[in-house]
Amino acid sequence: MKNGAKIKMINIGLIGMGAIGKIHFDNIMHLQKARLVAVADLSKKSRSLAKAAGVREVYDNYEKLLQNPAIDCVIISVPNFLHADCAIKAAEYGKHMLIEKPLARNVEEGKQIVSKVKKNGIKAMIGYPLRFSQFAKLKKEINSGCLGDVVSCLATHASYGPLYHRIANSHEQTSVPLPVPSWWFEPKLTGGGALIDLGSHMINLLRWFFGDDVSIVKTVLGHRFNMPFEDVALCFIKFKQGTFAIVNTGWYSLKPVTKVELFGVANTVSMSIDYKKKFSVLTSLRERMLGKILAQESPYYKELNYFIDCLISDRMPSPSVEEGLKDLEIISLAYNNAI
Amino acid sequence: MSLISLVRTNRSSNLKNHIEKSVDLINFHFNSNIHKVVIKANMCYYWDYSIGETTSPLFVSGLIDFLRERLSSPEVYIVESDASAMKCKHAFRMLGYEKLANKKGVNLINLSKDENKEIKVTTANKSYKFLIPATIKNADLFINVPKIKYMAGTLISCALKNIYGCNPYPQKFKYHSKLDEVIVALNKIMKPDLCLVDGVIVRGQHTKKLGLIMASEDSVSTDSAAAKIIGLNPKKIRHIVLAEKEGLGRIRYKTIGENIEYFAQRFPRKDQIEKIEHAIIKLGVSVLRKARG
Repeated sequence: MKNGAKIKMINIGLIGMGAIGKIHFDNIMHLQKARLVAVADLSKKSRSLAKAAGVREVYDNYEKLLQNPAIDCVIISVPNFLHADCAIKAAEYGKHMLIEKPLARNVEEGKQIVSKVKKNGIKAMIGYPLRFSQFAKLKKEINSGCLGDVVSCLATHASYGPLYHRIANSHEQTSVPLPVPSWWFEPKLTGGGALIDLGSHMINLLRWFFGDDVSIVKTVLGHRFNMPFEDVALCFIKFKQGTFAIVNTGWYSLKPVTKVELFGVANTVSMSIDYKKKFSVLTSLRERMLGKILAQESPYYKELNYFIDCLISDRMPSPSVEEGLKDLEIISLAYNNAI
Repeated sequence: MSLISLVRTNRSSNLKNHIEKSVDLINFHFNSNIHKVVIKANMCYYWDYSIGETTSPLFVSGLIDFLRERLSSPEVYIVESDASAMKCKHAFRMLGYEKLANKKGVNLINLSKDENKEIKVTTANKSYKFLIPATIKNADLFINVPKIKYMAGTLISCALKNIYGCNPYPQKFKYHSKLDEVIVALNKIMKPDLCLVDGVIVRGQHTKKLGLIMASEDSVSTDSAAAKIIGLNPKKIRHIVLAEKEGLGRIRYKTIGENIEYFAQRFPRKDQIEKIEHAIIKLGVSVLRKARG
């Protein structure tokens, strides 16, 4: 697709059918203005699944997918250590892209992506679904002034992370627990632990609320599970506009918590995501019956739909890769300023 | 009828003394020639012990201290095996066993990497072949240290189910359609000398400090009492019934120490909806079992 050209239907290539890739796979099926034309994944099982769902082209190598001229944009949901290579190649092939967070493992890789994207005039967006969740209301509240100046903020994102086994999802046709992919145990491949994985969501959200400029970043990193990466992180940030924030994140909690508390001079507001009890028979029955409606309520769906709208209407999507790079810069400061 | 001791403890108290009390209450006799002691903890995925799903390294630490008082320079081995979704190299580290082993000077053994020998065993008139790890085969004293918890498919996981983790074959999901029989078969070839249940923190409907230590030489009785505590009828639990039938122990037991009702009343039992879900899963497993003949 040439920049600025109006098209009726966007052709998507999905790169990576891991946990998040499968969410995108499901959501694409509900899109009105885009269709999934190709999937690339190392797993034969995932490729078979895509074929069975009617995807025309499946590849075991993402470069082959990128060479397909029919593809307008790609969703990059591969492990962190492949983000830079995949995004840079996608830009070289002229594909617009939605890249899962974090943008890359480190600032250096992030800069390479940003540079290549700019050079090739690519519309590139970072996957931060919380921006499309109920937390967007907090942004409106801050902007409306009803909180007064927000003096402090506590942003918590704690869950079991990637380290607890996952029960196979509905695609797998089995209840056998899935092993944790080995790359998650290698900080060189992930770029870090809970801070870059979950903390990046909250840092992006706070930057969206309070602006890009930060004056202080300090962090306490914990290693509850004795691994060479942090599974607990408390990151203290002072935004130049005046707000103090704490990002409280970790890979330890069996009960996921995603919560933002804003303490303003005029008022205080607290908001958290209500995680459904996923394995309840009644919940899964409800989800089956109302599948499409519920899917379109999800932040991941809204995020993808927005990205496709941006491509169709020739707008630059946000959060952009530049924003993803700024998040990485704060994360890098946080790692370097660990107390 | 086997004897089961029930001892109350709390996390901050001296676990070694309470373990000692529970073992002494059943008059467990330590032979003078015991040298190699194998401890089978329950490491389920990478779940932290404070959730109540995995054996606490603090509990095992107390057990090691107790063993060192009772035995002359025992060689202690803490064992677990790789599973479909768990690798020992990560579990030992994440669950605190690597630290414990370094601190106490004991050995950590991944049974999936151990030397082994094939053994044939018959259960419920069916013949099975399993690999028995050398560390367990050569043990002078084999101590099973399970948790007490609900489990989809088998309803309960305690002493008998924990031995399932001694099977060195990692892809254990292949046994899921005949889980009850395989649990019993493995207990027949790797029968523990002592069961010591870590019920200090338990997980039922939710996590709770129950403060229970339970000791017995009989795995079947241990599971029978565990079933009573979590609110299930042991005679309706297939692997417990089968284990008794195969001569592994007795469902009937006699308790000593605390009243079992004390723990039964405090265990965080699952609500009705979850019980129905478990029943549906159980039904699914039995349909699968029948379909596969």
